[in-house]
Amino acid sequence: MPLLTVESASKSFGALRAVDGVSFSVEPGELFGIAGPNGSGKSTLFNLISGIPFGPDSGRILFAGEDLAGRKGHQIARLGLVRTFQRETAFDTLSVFDNALMGATYGGKGPVPEERSAEALAFVGFAPADFDRKAAELSVYDRKRLMLASALALSPRLLLLDEPASGLTKPEIEALIALIRRIAATGATILLIEHVLTVLLALSQRLMVLNEGSLLVLDRPDVVVRDPRVIRAYLGDRRHVA
Amino acid sequence: MKLSGFKRELCGMILGLAVLAILPVFIQDTYLRHLLIMIFVYGMVAASWDLSLGYGGVFNFGHLALFGVGLYTYALLTKQLGVDPWLALAASGGAAVIAAGLMVIPILRLKGIYVVLLSFAFSQLILQVIVSQSDYTGGNQGMVMVPALKLGDHNMMRDKKLAYYYIALTLLSACLLFLRVFVRSALGKSIVALRDNEEYAVSRGVSLGRQRLLTLTGSALFTGIAGGFYGGYFRNTSTDVFGIDLTTLILSMVLLGGRATIYGPLLASLALTLLSEATADIGVWRPIIIGAVIILVLLVYPGGLAGALTAGWRRLSAMRTPRGQGAAINKVAS
Ligand SMILES: Nc1ncnc2c1ncn2[C@@H]1O[C@H](COP(=O)(O)OP(=O)(O)O)[C@@H](O)[C@H]1O
Ligand SMILES: [Mg+2]
Repeated sequence: MPLLTVESASKSFGALRAVDGVSFSVEPGELFGIAGPNGSGKSTLFNLISGIPFGPDSGRILFAGEDLAGRKGHQIARLGLVRTFQRETAFDTLSVFDNALMGATYGGKGPVPEERSAEALAFVGFAPADFDRKAAELSVYDRKRLMLASALALSPRLLLLDEPASGLTKPEIEALIALIRRIAATGATILLIEHVLTVLLALSQRLMVLNEGSLLVLDRPDVVVRDPRVIRAYLGDRRHVA
Repeated sequence: MKLSGFKRELCGMILGLAVLAILPVFIQDTYLRHLLIMIFVYGMVAASWDLSLGYGGVFNFGHLALFGVGLYTYALLTKQLGVDPWLALAASGGAAVIAAGLMVIPILRLKGIYVVLLSFAFSQLILQVIVSQSDYTGGNQGMVMVPALKLGDHNMMRDKKLAYYYIALTLLSACLLFLRVFVRSALGKSIVALRDNEEYAVSRGVSLGRQRLLTLTGSALFTGIAGGFYGGYFRNTSTDVFGIDLTTLILSMVLLGGRATIYGPLLASLALTLLSEATADIGVWRPIIIGAVIILVLLVYPGGLAGALTAGWRRLSAMRTPRGQGAAINKVAS
């Protein structure tokens, strides 16, 4: 059974069909890539799946066979369907430790949330000496890692990563790719949005390309990047393909 | 590590309260004691408001209505139903909690200015209910001869307010402990998380509805008890507590004290009560001078009095540690 099934999900903002009848499914343990030009509806698709801040106008989202319709965002997170955001997001006035503690306490399972927060922080590379720092003081990359740690503190079954590489330097992107590989190795299923195709080619087993809210291609990454429709959608901008 | 931080705070808290406990030995003057009692009462209301406004970022402008609910609950129960004053005092906290629970419903999905408008409307609604039931509440005239608090056979009227002083101090201590434990708990951090970034908090499993409910009811508990105490102390009620003057005064305390500190509003309650006493004779200039002082302090210390104190403390401890050592830059190891 697929872990996630999206059945003709749609979302409109006024006349704009941001996500337009998209259907696909993701198998347990898969690393599933999502690409597409800016404004093609990738982040909106994550909103619909996570219910944060809204679900679809029409269509269905099934997580482990359960219809998510009518569930609130925090309930979906507690099921183990956990998202990150495109902008590096943090609870600025809380400490690094407390940022992770929120996920462990409210979304995680099992006793001793403090232990699970410390574990998640260590997993993404924070040293205990950093735990008391305010999140607002961190660099962009550290904030992104913190957002990942707070997601891991929920022990997610499905992790939605929205452009984790944006705004990072080359060496940081390398480190991030290694980190995502380690997360995948724990058995988590991952949906990964990237505008930069390099990251997707390095990581994903299947790759879906959206264009103007619709599914354009869904196939193996090496097949997808050679597809003429994909090249046209990216306006022949070879930089992204390289 | 976390525990020792709280232990240290607890020690400071006990020390501060011990100082307040021996203060009446030196302050024999009834009026000065009365001022301190008012500082404690306003301090409880302001510090409780800091929970919803400062920590939660919920612009609840009906906070003083919760004080009013406590006041009228105490007065109605003791005077109209003959309930024991101490029981009525506890009930005044309970009634304010219930009122706050009802107030959450309309403001749950709203943000910013809409929360201000609806919570203020809610407070005016409570006022209208009280005014309309004038047979019991005395309407706009308020109630008089409300039963006082009792301590066995002790004469509360002839002790230069000593008993009321200690009752108020006890309530303040309980309030302070409650609020500090609240904001230090995971629950307290989750309401700050919602304030910092609502969608992000929800994505980590934090329930907006449940946390808002706990924030507002938590801020209501000692606000209502303070209202009940106020009734037993003054032995009358007035619908003035729903007015803009008291709301402005308490809000000034939250802002001047420094948001999201709990201690700040207590400090500001002291500062503003004394300042308004000191300027009592200068008539119309009083609010202008008080306003100017508040603006001046906030310009220099945006963190308010609590921010000014921590800044002063840092400077002091920086002078004691050798240079460079305290300023060591700790980088996140990648
Ligand atoms: N909350 C919103 N209100 C109105 N329009 C939106 C909203 N969110 C996204 N859009 C629009 O929907 C389209 C898809 O946006 P998005 O999903 O963010 O694209 P992507 O993540 O692929 O860059 C864009 O045209 C964007 O302007
Ligand atoms: Mg996007």
